[in-house]
Amino acid sequence: MAVVATLGGRPSRPSARLGRRVLRKVVVLVVAVALLGLLWTGYKSLGRATGDVWPATSIGLPVKTDDTTLPAFTDIVTRPFEPQRAGDDTLLWRTILDAAVFTLKEAVVGFGIGIVLGIGIALVMVSSGWFERGLLPWVIVSQTIPLIALAPIVVAWGHQLEVPGVTWSPWMSVSVIATYLTFFPVAVSGLRGLQSPTRHALDLMATCGATWRQELVKLRFPSALPYLLPALKVAATASVVGAIVGEISAGVAGGLGRLILSYSQQYLSDPARLYCSVIGAGLLGTAFVGMVGAAELLLLRHRPPEAR
Amino acid sequence: MSAPAAPAAPAAAIRLSGVDQVFNEGRQDEVAALSQIDLVVGAGELVSLIGPSGCGKSTLLRVVADLVEPTRGTVQVNGKSPRQARLDQDYGMAFQQAALFEWRSVAGNIELPLELRGVGRGDRRARALELLRLVRLEDFADHRPWQLSGGMQQRVAIARALALQPKLLLMDEPFGALDEMTREHMQAELVRICAETATTVVFVTHSIPEAVFLSERVVVMSARPGRIAAVVDVPLGARDEDTREDPAFFTCITQVREVLRGRAGAGAVAGAPGPAPGADVR
Ligand SMILES: Nc1ncnc2c1ncn2[C@@H]1O[C@H](COP(=O)(O)OP(=O)(O)OP(=O)(O)O)[C@@H](O)[C@H]1O
Ligand SMILES: [Mg+2]
Repeated sequence: MAVVATLGGRPSRPSARLGRRVLRKVVVLVVAVALLGLLWTGYKSLGRATGDVWPATSIGLPVKTDDTTLPAFTDIVTRPFEPQRAGDDTLLWRTILDAAVFTLKEAVVGFGIGIVLGIGIALVMVSSGWFERGLLPWVIVSQTIPLIALAPIVVAWGHQLEVPGVTWSPWMSVSVIATYLTFFPVAVSGLRGLQSPTRHALDLMATCGATWRQELVKLRFPSALPYLLPALKVAATASVVGAIVGEISAGVAGGLGRLILSYSQQYLSDPARLYCSVIGAGLLGTAFVGMVGAAELLLLRHRPPEAR
Repeated sequence: MSAPAAPAAPAAAIRLSGVDQVFNEGRQDEVAALSQIDLVVGAGELVSLIGPSGCGKSTLLRVVADLVEPTRGTVQVNGKSPRQARLDQDYGMAFQQAALFEWRSVAGNIELPLELRGVGRGDRRARALELLRLVRLEDFADHRPWQLSGGMQQRVAIARALALQPKLLLMDEPFGALDEMTREHMQAELVRICAETATTVVFVTHSIPEAVFLSERVVVMSARPGRIAAVVDVPLGARDEDTREDPAFFTCITQVREVLRGRAGAGAVAGAPGPAPGADVR
């Protein structure tokens, strides 16, 4: 699964090491997919042969193996290269890719705003213990509101929102939902990271007559990076999941959320298609996390091995 | 506090009078770290602080450096308030721990104070390399701090403290992690820098020979509450490698040791910067 998600390596020759790492991940991925295919096919033919019970028993298999419940592995693999639906010549992979790009846009916008918001909140909290005590509980409470409840509110507000120079379109509501899921890990880890410098390091900055701004830029932000970047990976996943769920609950068309919804409604007629769209969603999340992972690798390449 | 330097001794680099430092005052975990500290360090003087662990040596330096505010008493640094002296980057400080920034190269760490002062890139680099030569780490400019040994890191921290050529150096056990040879080299360099640039140094150490070798006066502190037990004069003249074998050197070491053991009196005059009566060195 995690093709490039867990990239994290030594410094010396980053490009060469990166190349080798990516190669290794690709090999692992191919082997994993092949194994999964074997298992899937084996299980299916076992079920077909015994009539969905364990051999020589009457105990039923956990998942039925008829073509509706468990389409053939080869069908899932070949399905992307067939037309999306009857009467539409677009190949399925193309449809899924377009939807994924649409969803990624929502997720990335939400992710970006969430980072800015999260770091902003962390900065306010780190500037004074009062703000920290006053704000942190609310930040935590905010995450207990279920997404399903939030989405309609955001959509309703979105219609009335008047940002000068911006005409509100529905996908922006989805970005707001992604923002909502992103800012939390960023704010919490940012706070911890900004507070991580030791007393000696802070004293050193003080003895150099550093201003608050210099202390932030030269000490607190660099110290916060090893805390922030892993949180950003979590946030990247959350923003994609948030965008997909947000599309469904806000009723926004064009993205993976709507695609998965409609494919699941038409599941009986074309089961492999739903599997493909779900795999597409997984790959999208993985790709996004991979990009954040690559940024992490780059930004932390000079850190001691234990900080990476 | 920020009054002009007292007319009696205008050359004083540090002037502490009646300084008390009580941490967590009024609470159950109250610690009296410093009590009734009176100390004057003249400009260009090299003074050592020695005393048992936990007696308040680091705290005393932190008071001078304006990293903690004294509970009572007054402090002057270069005739200014400690705060003003800190903002003016009047002093360089080497901490008990190296406190290097792991995301900066070795040279980058040394450049930090220069950067904060607004010195240009080229000048910064040149100065950093010059200082790296001084601490014998010229081959490690582009290494990362975590690739160095503890002693090497400590030397980088010393170089960083020297970066702005401060008139006042506050050093907290800076040579603690060094091997004997490097340590003696660094001691000699410190004495040389001091003599050449008339830098004032307050030097915290646990080593009696080091204190005696380096300084003109050794301030001996006692613990709980931390106070100045005695100030031992070290009339050894200009230091060089022969000093370490001078019988007078050993006499002074003995003297400091006696005071530290609590057998005070002999040659020690509390708080008095003048020549010690019993310090008949020969
Ligand atoms: N920030 C603080 N809060 C509370 N107590 C403190 C603080 N800093 C120092 N102390 C206490 O003050 C006393 C003196 O500490 P200090 O660090 O000055 O000792 P020291 O002489 O430098 O010891 P060492 O030789 O072991 O470094 C100790 O008892 C310590 O527990
Ligand atoms: Mg100490």
